[in-house]
Amino acid sequence: MRQRTLWSVVGIAVIAGFVAFGAGAFKSNLTPYVSFEKARASASAVQVAGKLVEHSDRFDEANSQLVFTLENDHGQQLAVTYKGPKPGNFNEAIQVVAIGRFHDGALEAEKLLVKCPSKYQGVEEKAYTSRSS
Amino acid sequence: MFIPGVIALWAAFAALCASTFCYIQSIRGRESARDQARQFYGLAVFGVVAASAMLLYLILTHKFGIHYVFSYSDRSLPFRYLFSTLWAGQEGSFLLWLFWGMLIGLALIRYARHYEDRTLVIYNLTLASLLLILLRQSPFRALNGLPPGQLPFDGQGLNPLLQNPWMTIHPPIMFLGYAATAVPFAFAVAALWGRRYDEWVRASLPWALVTVVTLGCAILLGGYWAYVTLGWGGYWGWDPVENSSLVPWIASAALVHGMLLQRARGRFRKLNFALAMLAYGLVVYATFLTRSGVLADFSVHSFVDLGITGWLVANLAVFFLIGIGALAWRWREIPAQAGDEPLLSRTVFFVLAIATLLGTAAMVLLGTSAPLITRLAAQPSQVSAAFYNRVTLPVGILFAALLGVVPFLHWRGTQDAFRKRLLASLSVAALLTVGGVAVGATGILYTAFLFVSLFVFVSNLIKTAEEVQKKRFRSAGGYLAHVGLGLMLAGIITSSAYDRSEKVVLPLGEAKQVMGYTLTFKGVDKPTPTAREAMLVEVTEPGGRTYVARPKMFRNEKSNQLVANPDVHVRLTHDVYVAPIEFDPGREPEDAGAVELGKGETATAGPYKITFAGFDMSGAHGDGQSISLGVKLDVAFGGAMQQVMPMLVSGANGFDSRPVTLPGPAGASVSVAGVDAGSGRVRLALGGIGGGGVARRASLHKGETLTYRGTTLTFDDFDLSDFDPQAGKIHIGAVFKVAGAAGSSGEITALYKNDGGGETHEDAAIPGLDGVKLRIGRMNANEKTVEVLVLDANAQPDAGEKMRFSLDLTVKPMIGLLWVGLVVLLCGGLMAVVRRGGEFAGAVAATAAAAGK
Repeated sequence: MRQRTLWSVVGIAVIAGFVAFGAGAFKSNLTPYVSFEKARASASAVQVAGKLVEHSDRFDEANSQLVFTLENDHGQQLAVTYKGPKPGNFNEAIQVVAIGRFHDGALEAEKLLVKCPSKYQGVEEKAYTSRSS
Repeated sequence: MFIPGVIALWAAFAALCASTFCYIQSIRGRESARDQARQFYGLAVFGVVAASAMLLYLILTHKFGIHYVFSYSDRSLPFRYLFSTLWAGQEGSFLLWLFWGMLIGLALIRYARHYEDRTLVIYNLTLASLLLILLRQSPFRALNGLPPGQLPFDGQGLNPLLQNPWMTIHPPIMFLGYAATAVPFAFAVAALWGRRYDEWVRASLPWALVTVVTLGCAILLGGYWAYVTLGWGGYWGWDPVENSSLVPWIASAALVHGMLLQRARGRFRKLNFALAMLAYGLVVYATFLTRSGVLADFSVHSFVDLGITGWLVANLAVFFLIGIGALAWRWREIPAQAGDEPLLSRTVFFVLAIATLLGTAAMVLLGTSAPLITRLAAQPSQVSAAFYNRVTLPVGILFAALLGVVPFLHWRGTQDAFRKRLLASLSVAALLTVGGVAVGATGILYTAFLFVSLFVFVSNLIKTAEEVQKKRFRSAGGYLAHVGLGLMLAGIITSSAYDRSEKVVLPLGEAKQVMGYTLTFKGVDKPTPTAREAMLVEVTEPGGRTYVARPKMFRNEKSNQLVANPDVHVRLTHDVYVAPIEFDPGREPEDAGAVELGKGETATAGPYKITFAGFDMSGAHGDGQSISLGVKLDVAFGGAMQQVMPMLVSGANGFDSRPVTLPGPAGASVSVAGVDAGSGRVRLALGGIGGGGVARRASLHKGETLTYRGTTLTFDDFDLSDFDPQAGKIHIGAVFKVAGAAGSSGEITALYKNDGGGETHEDAAIPGLDGVKLRIGRMNANEKTVEVLVLDANAQPDAGEKMRFSLDLTVKPMIGLLWVGLVVLLCGGLMAVVRRGGEFAGAVAATAAAAGK
């Protein structure tokens, strides 16, 4: 029985440690949906949603990135940059979700989710990741 | 609504219910009911097979009145993709899952023996849950919103990303794995119900292995597909849909090892019951996550809420209650053995490996469920990929360290020469890791991960070789699978932790240096009008070898979706991955103006006087295979006379124009822009003669002005008096008011013409400015703007803008290890399936023979 007790103690300690580690990683890597103001103020990765301002998207060749502006329901605007190919259906999107960090006047998106209107399918989705993992 | 299909599904459902009812009768002691139950089951199989065949028929015959057929297929699809349309959508994939489930049930009935009645009651329940979803969300429902009596001529087509051979076979393999998880679950519940706590392990082990092999294979195919078609550079994105096949896979792997443990040691019964429940419960939970639309804001995959969320939640509740309830009901009765196991024994290591597997599964599940968990407290949020990478790395190291030791352990201790073999494996792995560090491996955790992965590889390889040497091929499968796993883990870390990537913009024809590679954009390749545009990029590797990468970038006409496919160049030690980012078609140089001439006519262009002398149709200047047409021109320049002959030569894509250079200014040339055979007139394009530099370029609304050298031009209105598209005359004029610096004023009209044979411009000379003309360029009907170009003889010639192609170049070291490792893993797994299936069939035959005596 001594071995059993020892095992239980070690097991519980390892599990507790692991849970604490997992919970910590979980909390620090959450990307909450936030308003544009909060996105500007936040130092960590966040998620914002908005409408693409028409004709605001262009390809910035010097930095090899897509630059565009999102507008929320209150008419506020937020500049977004994205280092990846322009998602298909990007200009037809009814909503664009950008996930990333605010830096130097723009949200540097790691990932874009594009929602497109589709007559028969309701809302279709495509997401794009700019980096490999 | 396609009635026969719906009837087939309802009939299958009714038959399944009848079968279940008869099995319950049989459990209550009416043995004869079992035969009826089997017959009803056969009927249900027939119904599902018939429904699948009917859906296939509807797709193949293009019945676009059916919603499913309309949404996922069209007339242009080749047969193989029409076939795969069968499982391209939500409903079809549920049908495929059900189809496999029904077939697996036939095998279950044959082999379940005294577990049959109870197992099939539970198993039928899992099938019925799928059938109910299909009845609720039928693949046979009609397309709504059509005018009565009308059918669409064509469907919306299959997503171009799914038109890929890997994607056609991915779902069938995937759903075979999903379907197989129901077997251990049904056996486990039946075993608890019938109080037979051991034999079920032997019967369901082959099925658990089937799940491990098929889900693993499906994950491999899905990852490989993502890698070679999606172009974001990776094979795994920790997307909810990916995770929802990974988590059941891990749980099934844990179940397999738990079962092996119970068979060898006669312990851990409760663990295996729990694992069997868990593996199936996770499949149901993953289905809920990915099919209900709860993650619609968080996933790459286009699953949206189609009204079955309630059913999926109910499913989840029912099967969790059944699993946990059955376990709780018998918990105290399940025989348990106390007793210590030596620390250095296969038993303890198996338990630890199962624990780390479950820990990994729990973490991935936690991350995937983040939007649901956070919804309880606040706004739903998801976790970034960094979370998964961070938690799986240390657990992976621990896991691999265990796996490297196991081959040299007995169930109850260490094998002979344990230390020697362990040390040999460790030193070989260390040597390989040192080699890895020498070529650039860095980071303590990454290097540790690399080391333990190689340790798994080496020690299992040694053990596999020993087994083969002793001619024990049957037991080599398990070790071989772990050889593959070791390779795979090593490939994952080298290709994702040590990859290098850089973005670059390539103007046409200009060579650029990136990470030692020389890249030159050579143009766009589109051999036929329907071909997908490929970007030709010449890549010279650091070693000097050269190849042409062909990443694709095209617009899918049906969905108007921009699709980008990367180019993957496989080398022994790395992959060179070229992913398209952006293509800019550039702009042709604005020519100085076209000249149109009849035979014998003369025109002045810049310093030249050009006379059209006649056609040369001898073809003598061609290569004999193509048709050529020469245009003889007499060119007078600076008092000298010269005859030149630009040509049109037929090629694969129609006629190519072959320009000729003109004497005088460097770069001056003339080419044939068009020939009107009817009137015998030619249109000539003159390039580089210095008479047509674009001095100013602007886009004007009505009433807006442009000032050039003191003269003000105001865009007044369009002139559409000669606009008649039906007669093939697209002539658009733009009227401008001119106000000169000296107070003079007037009105000029510049014309754009397209008579079907190409565009021409009739430029308007600007009064008061010598040698300055006004041309109209692009017009935008929506914005009501016109592009205005001021051409000045004194301005620099317009060079146009070159096409540009931006790409992302990534070098992925040793990624081949991942694919090779997975294939080896699956081969080993397959050997294990054959072995365990054979053992079980042998046991069945033995009992049957014993009963016969």
